[in-house]
Amino acid sequence: MSKEVGESGEFNMKIVVASGKGGVGKSMLASSLALLSVDKKIVACDCDVDAPNLGLWLGETKQDSVEKISTSFKAKIDLDKCTRCGKCKDICRFFAIEKNENYHVNPFLCEGCGACELVCPEKAIKLTSIKNGELRVRNTKYGFPLVSAQLYPGEAGSGKIVEQLRKKAEKFDHFIMFLDAAAGIGCPVIASVRGCDYAVLITEPTPSGFSDLKRILEIVNHFNIPYGIVINKWNINPPLSKRIQKWSEDKFLGKLSYDKKVIDCIVNLKPVIFSDSKVANEIKEIYKKLNI
Amino acid sequence: MQKIVSTGVKGGVGKSTFAILLAFKLSKQGKKVVLCDCDVECPNDHLILAKTLKEGKPIYQDYPVLDKEKCKKCGLCSETCKENAVFWVKEKYPFFIYDLCTGCGACWLVCPNKAISTKKEVVGNSYINKINDNFFLVTGVSKAGVSETGPIVRETKDRAIKFAQEKKADYLIVDTAPGTHCSVIQAILNSEKIYAVTEPTPLGSHDLGLILELAKLLNISAEIVLNKADVGNKKEIENIAKKFNTEISIEIPYSEELVNAYCQKKLERVVNLI
Repeated sequence: MSKEVGESGEFNMKIVVASGKGGVGKSMLASSLALLSVDKKIVACDCDVDAPNLGLWLGETKQDSVEKISTSFKAKIDLDKCTRCGKCKDICRFFAIEKNENYHVNPFLCEGCGACELVCPEKAIKLTSIKNGELRVRNTKYGFPLVSAQLYPGEAGSGKIVEQLRKKAEKFDHFIMFLDAAAGIGCPVIASVRGCDYAVLITEPTPSGFSDLKRILEIVNHFNIPYGIVINKWNINPPLSKRIQKWSEDKFLGKLSYDKKVIDCIVNLKPVIFSDSKVANEIKEIYKKLNI
Repeated sequence: MQKIVSTGVKGGVGKSTFAILLAFKLSKQGKKVVLCDCDVECPNDHLILAKTLKEGKPIYQDYPVLDKEKCKKCGLCSETCKENAVFWVKEKYPFFIYDLCTGCGACWLVCPNKAISTKKEVVGNSYINKINDNFFLVTGVSKAGVSETGPIVRETKDRAIKFAQEKKADYLIVDTAPGTHCSVIQAILNSEKIYAVTEPTPLGSHDLGLILELAKLLNISAEIVLNKADVGNKKEIENIAKKFNTEISIEIPYSEELVNAYCQKKLERVVNLI
């Protein structure tokens, strides 16, 4: 992996770990790659703002700073002004305007786009900014900062929280930024993958794992990002592992074994890379191949 | 018809596995079941059930199109768009970044010169498969690159509900994506019962707290399904159950038989696990 030296004379490389399918080992691998890079200046980003778990894989359960943020709006209807024309309900693409006796906004569905406010002839609808999540920073015991965020349950705007999180992480002096993406291929994942220099795609040898690998690859290819593929728990299904490896061609980075010691690690909040598991060595091999 | 949801915030904890096992179990008891795969970004239920998706019903989104003859380059569209999907530089025409567009309509509503029209594009598809006489699957699939997947979930679920009513189904089981964001909320809304699937690890307990919080906000009763129940430590899960005044109603042990059945697309073999 190589990158041009920037104008400032410094490298600044962004590596994202993604998978499409959840629970295949993204955070486990991202935490390990970060820990193997501690001698370089790094910053780690947990871009799974729905369920931030990267800290747990690093054995970190506390925060040094927490800052509430607002990346979303909600509409509110002033019933005194509303003439019940229904134009807001017709325009809302998110089905957030519901009609019982009166029209009202379902806060769990409102995305704060403002279309209803614009369409209302009585100016009865106003958008208000809401605190939909928080940004968290932890200076880890390994000497690098971990930036994460939590979207409050029931709120919208996860993609924009990821953008804020990345901006926050940029402020820390670093050569390498590791980003741990969420599951899926929708807005928070697109916000995590966009602008990265390299993607480590992790999968497992199950029909779903393979299918979701192809889905995330569509996103990675859409943004023209170079990538490599890791197969986790390869030994739960050796024939499919073989097929995925062959399919990956020169993008294949390596495979990790299914190892119950990994579960012991997370139960005891001990980073995998510091354990005597087989997986720790296999990750080190992959790290060498990445040539970070 | 009872509407049940299998969800769980964390990925890979067995949401789909549980949803399918439950569907098989109920259908074997003679109940009619429609399973709706609402993980439209990464739908997998059909794979686990060894079905191919054919003859999709398209799901559309409106995208803005600029009429340069009418546009006065005022930039109001760009200022209004909350998604930053309209790029505009003074004295230039605005440019729409379709990757970011959610099709909300704010730009074409705000344009004082009616210079923005719309075009419909397919953003996803929904499919129906028959698994057996009592068990049907409705699947939603988003087109890769579409960022706003909530409306795709909504349309898929609407189709599943209509189909379930036609079939006089006893149960609609909704399988959601991981997380708590909009597409998951769309999948959960208006259901009667949530099964929160998790595993006995610190990751599982952290994420269980989030989904139970969401269930509380949405005022839907939730029970816990503990997968891989014998691997790890379930003390913390029990504490969270107590905190949210619920219980672990189903425990699924770690089983190689299940892993093999999953990989070989034969989950009906291990229905007795739940």
